[in-house]
Amino acid sequence: MIIDSRELNDLTRRATDLMSETADVPRILRNRLGEEHQLAQAAEEMQGSIESFVRELRCFDVSAQTVVADTFEGT
Amino acid sequence: MYIPEADFEQLIRTLSEARSRATELAASIGARLGTEHQLAELANTASLKIENVLREVRASATDSSDIATGLAELQGALQTETQPVTPAIVNPSERMPIGTETMANFAAQAGLETEHWLPMFVNDLTSQLRISGGVTFEVAERLLQQRKDDFLRDFLISRRMYRTYPHLFPELQGHMRPPEGQTISH
Repeated sequence: MIIDSRELNDLTRRATDLMSETADVPRILRNRLGEEHQLAQAAEEMQGSIESFVRELRCFDVSAQTVVADTFEGT
Repeated sequence: MYIPEADFEQLIRTLSEARSRATELAASIGARLGTEHQLAELANTASLKIENVLREVRASATDSSDIATGLAELQGALQTETQPVTPAIVNPSERMPIGTETMANFAAQAGLETEHWLPMFVNDLTSQLRISGGVTFEVAERLLQQRKDDFLRDFLISRRMYRTYPHLFPELQGHMRPPEGQTISH
């Protein structure tokens, strides 16, 4: 149940790429269908979900480093 | 409310790749931190939402294609179907019935339902004739265009309602869809 900083950085980078690549999807659907359309709203939710995931990954990066440091201090 | 085919292709390609990447990320995080870890759950949620949007975009692309085909068929059928039926009742020398009676008489003669667009169009013409004492080609064309627009709008709404709420149309439940390529009878 551990993850090192290099793996985490790699995961964060991949998730950020994912977020960038899907950023146009809500915009296209909103422009074509209108903000109120169910599909446009579903795309907004999707993008929000990806952004939350990336944000948590970035936060976890910091806290993971702290946990590792504490472990080393205790040994 | 129109999405060009090129946009559909781009959306489907982007979302397909995103779904694969999100699934890989969720699997990687789950393998390292456990599937119940918050990050793994967030990755799974993102993957599911991408999957949902992809499914809906694919469905919309299919519907859009059906509508385009259906409209083309309707346009063609409207053009050809207006040819053979001659509205013989529109004769200034005859005493002209009024309102729904006109429509019912014409529909009966032509073997059509009273709500068919053609008797309604004839009724529009006769109403216009009574009101203004004459009908120009321009007025007739405008009335016909209005009937055509009404027909297409009603058709699209009906199809959407039937697809979305099939349980509201129990009398149609046992009917099969028309075979591929068959034009819609109107």
